Amino acid sequence: MSVAEAVAVGQELPSLAKEMTQRRIDVFSGVKPRSIHTDEDWARQKGFRTTLAQGMMSTAYVSEMMTRLLGAGFVKGGTLSMSFIKPVYAGDRLTVHGVVRETRPEGAGTRVVVEVWCQNQHGDKTAVGTASGLTP
Amino acid sequence: MTEFPKLTYDALTVGEEFVSDTHLVTPEDVEAYAFAVDDHHPWHSEPSPFGGPVAHPTLMANQALSLRHSKYIVHAGLHAKMEFNFLEPVRPGMRVQTRGRVIDKYERRGRQYMVTEYVTQDAQGTTLVRGQFTQMLIPEGTRHVGR
Repeated sequence: MSVAEAVAVGQELPSLAKEMTQRRIDVFSGVKPRSIHTDEDWARQKGFRTTLAQGMMSTAYVSEMMTRLLGAGFVKGGTLSMSFIKPVYAGDRLTVHGVVRETRPEGAGTRVVVEVWCQNQHGDKTAVGTASGLTP
Repeated sequence: MTEFPKLTYDALTVGEEFVSDTHLVTPEDVEAYAFAVDDHHPWHSEPSPFGGPVAHPTLMANQALSLRHSKYIVHAGLHAKMEFNFLEPVRPGMRVQTRGRVIDKYERRGRQYMVTEYVTQDAQGTTLVRGQFTQMLIPEGTRHVGR
């Protein structure tokens, strides 16, 4: 069965779980003074309870989920649009979710459109959006 | 010699352009990114359907997000929205550069935002990724509250 045949509107994708350790945030953002991502004192001065992960880390998680679903058709031909609606703090545990919302013909293949979101350990959504990619 | 004024909402002009330095994508970049986002898909270190290894599609996104630092001292900010169109894979060994242009700025509920469109290309001018992003400015002397 092809990927296009295997994907159905309403289908939930396997979720991912991500531990937001300060070490990973440091590597992602680069350690700098006066950074809300890597300088805890500065983050507090700016009104946050501790350091925050970059929103961009959540786009990487969705990219991983979509690459697992669509493979090369996401790496070349994929789209991703996300809004970051709540801070993600160092120490949080995120889960990454997707539900197929649409399939439509595009060129010789099919574009698969997925509603995506991340939520923290409290069940609060931290990022929401849409991703898509092509199947042969 | 580049001068770096402080970024303020008033100083920012719709239509102004940014350009990043050129960055050589190394296998170490990809390895570090894989650690940071805990994504160790084999295509990032072994042959992929595109031939050799390919980077995570979002690898160079921070080159785009940092564009305003090429002209300004940025006090603090938050990333509000991000859009990508992945047109060609980013591969280790490429020299990539991102160009951007401010396409909008606006104030909403007492907060200041800027919108930048960007294009990331390789040394041959092939477009790898394009899109736009929205960033909130946190002005000097203020705290971010309410989220």
